[in-house]
Amino acid sequence: MKILHLYHDLMNLYGDYANVSAMRRILEKSGESVTVDKVSLGGKAVLSDYDFIFVGSGTERNLRVALEDFRQYKAELSACADSGKALLFTGNSFEMLGKTLTDCHGNTVEGLGLFDFTVTEQNKTRDTADVIFNCDFLTQPLVGFVNKCSEIKGVSEPLFGVKMGLGNFKGDLHEGIRKNNLFGTHLTGPALIKNPHFLAYLAEKAGCKAVNTDYLTYEKAGFEVTLTELTKRMESGE
Amino acid sequence: MKKLFTILICKLLRFVGGLVGKGSSLPGQVALKLCPDILSRVSLPEYIIAVTGSNGKTSTVEMIAHILTKNGKTVAWNKEGSNQIEGVTTLVLGSCTLGGKVKSDILLIESDERFARYTFKYIQPTHYVITNLYRDQLTRNGHPEWVYDALLDSITSGTQLILNADDPLVSSFAQGRENVVWFGADKLSSDTETLESVYNDGAYCPVCKAPMTYTTHHYNHIGHYACTKCGYRRHDTQYTITAVDLDKGVMTIDGKHNITLALKSLYNIYNILSAYTVASIVGIDGAKIAADMNHYVLKNGRVITFELGSRKGTLLTSKHENSISYDQSIRVASAYKEGCDVMIIVDAVSRKYFTSDVSWLYDIDFDMLGCDNVHQIVLAGKYVNDLAVRFSYTDIPNDKIKLFEDINEAVDYLNSDRREYIYVITCFSDKGKFLVKVKGE
Repeated sequence: MKILHLYHDLMNLYGDYANVSAMRRILEKSGESVTVDKVSLGGKAVLSDYDFIFVGSGTERNLRVALEDFRQYKAELSACADSGKALLFTGNSFEMLGKTLTDCHGNTVEGLGLFDFTVTEQNKTRDTADVIFNCDFLTQPLVGFVNKCSEIKGVSEPLFGVKMGLGNFKGDLHEGIRKNNLFGTHLTGPALIKNPHFLAYLAEKAGCKAVNTDYLTYEKAGFEVTLTELTKRMESGE
Repeated sequence: MKKLFTILICKLLRFVGGLVGKGSSLPGQVALKLCPDILSRVSLPEYIIAVTGSNGKTSTVEMIAHILTKNGKTVAWNKEGSNQIEGVTTLVLGSCTLGGKVKSDILLIESDERFARYTFKYIQPTHYVITNLYRDQLTRNGHPEWVYDALLDSITSGTQLILNADDPLVSSFAQGRENVVWFGADKLSSDTETLESVYNDGAYCPVCKAPMTYTTHHYNHIGHYACTKCGYRRHDTQYTITAVDLDKGVMTIDGKHNITLALKSLYNIYNILSAYTVASIVGIDGAKIAADMNHYVLKNGRVITFELGSRKGTLLTSKHENSISYDQSIRVASAYKEGCDVMIIVDAVSRKYFTSDVSWLYDIDFDMLGCDNVHQIVLAGKYVNDLAVRFSYTDIPNDKIKLFEDINEAVDYLNSDRREYIYVITCFSDKGKFLVKVKGE
């Protein structure tokens, strides 16, 4: 199977690269042979060649640099989303897929237009939070961290429900975007390592025939500890 | 009247706080409530030296204070490390006469990066050292460019910037400015040609975002860089580490001053260099500074030697959520030729705020611990599972690693007849849990 890691050196702010390591490992442990390609600025990938495509989070400035390069993939990406290819965008990277992206000074650039949402950044406060997200397609909630300065409005099909933490905009109880098997979430860093059930789900969507999760002992234990800590925190109301 | 009253109250609270061992930010907090612009109402000394940056602030400030004091200057500085505006207010008013005049020759301020813009609205530093900008406490700080933007707001035109030339993001503070003092290191024997780090924050130019190339890396993305497009490049330095021998623990500044290091880390040599730079600017002779820094052991409790049964070791306080801080400590342990065991504790990610985020573990180059100098690795604390998973993505063999959720059990395990030296790598938030179990220095 083939994995594509796009903008690995530009959009990799919180250890996001580890999502690719995790996907490679689960596919290998499930008996697949795996290759990973890293393609960044100035490179060219054929998206349809891949079973799983990943983009991680970056600084606001780097997001714009990535976006200009990413435009070349607009049609291909749209076809991938329609055909049900597995794609994951973490952190602010999915913000490239909307209608517009407005920076803290009010300058607006067009996004790729795969979705109808708009993004507005500010530079006053960094919105950060430990989060617990719910979703109907997984048996357990998701845990992780969100680190952003943007509000995302006009999402018609969100990915998760917000049990604790931050949604697409302030006060929103929904988080992320989804279209078929294209997943975008503001969870930063190694979300697939922190949430082994989400990893297994995505591996299956990528086309892995018999997903093996037996080896994920410490991942599962780590998830439980974090979920317990976050739940305690939430219930204490702090 | 208001000024006198505010100063009095602040001094009083500081005195009482000192008696009951309370923190140093409350008196300043009260003073700012009473008189929000109190800092601009006091008269300040000729030298107002500020130090900020992700890492090394506290150590650098301590060293500067040490050198200046040794050379007959009086220095008011925030010893307790309270580095937001409240702590700085406590410091300034605590050092004032009742008439509002700071009594010392030099006001030396360690400042938090994100809050510098509030502090320096009232007090403009004459000299402003920026040590580095790394991925540091990103759960609060966002990312280095976010901190850069916040810091940029704190720099006024009359301030003399003193910048680390080897840090590409820090150096870009000089864009559009003259009158910058640069410090940095020549190509060193410990340098590498290629990047040794899990990630590369020097991949793209901070000014134009085109790819950058390096002729040498001191550590991580700190080194000699040049943009492939816009001409942005590492600046020449006025104060320079010209050689270092980490084995022997000797550094040389400006080709003539040798300093023997109490702590053999690259971090330490940068802190010494920035202290050297400031002291030189204040007018202290280079040879004297070097003598004062010779064998200098930091008093801020970040490096602590200990005994555990028959074994000896060193605790290297390393900031959680700061991969470069960890990388430095790991480098020190990996370089220990006589053989060592390494213990890493992640029990509370932060002591000041709650978070369960462990993504920063993925930015740390734990693979360095795979070297022959490191015999056994003990991982401990509430987040031991996350540590175990992180180590499973290194090439370090499983049988070299022991896991303990309970720190006490981990320490008991280490209290054996093994002969290896022990390095303990953990944060302020967790080091106390270890230190109660051992005999400190």
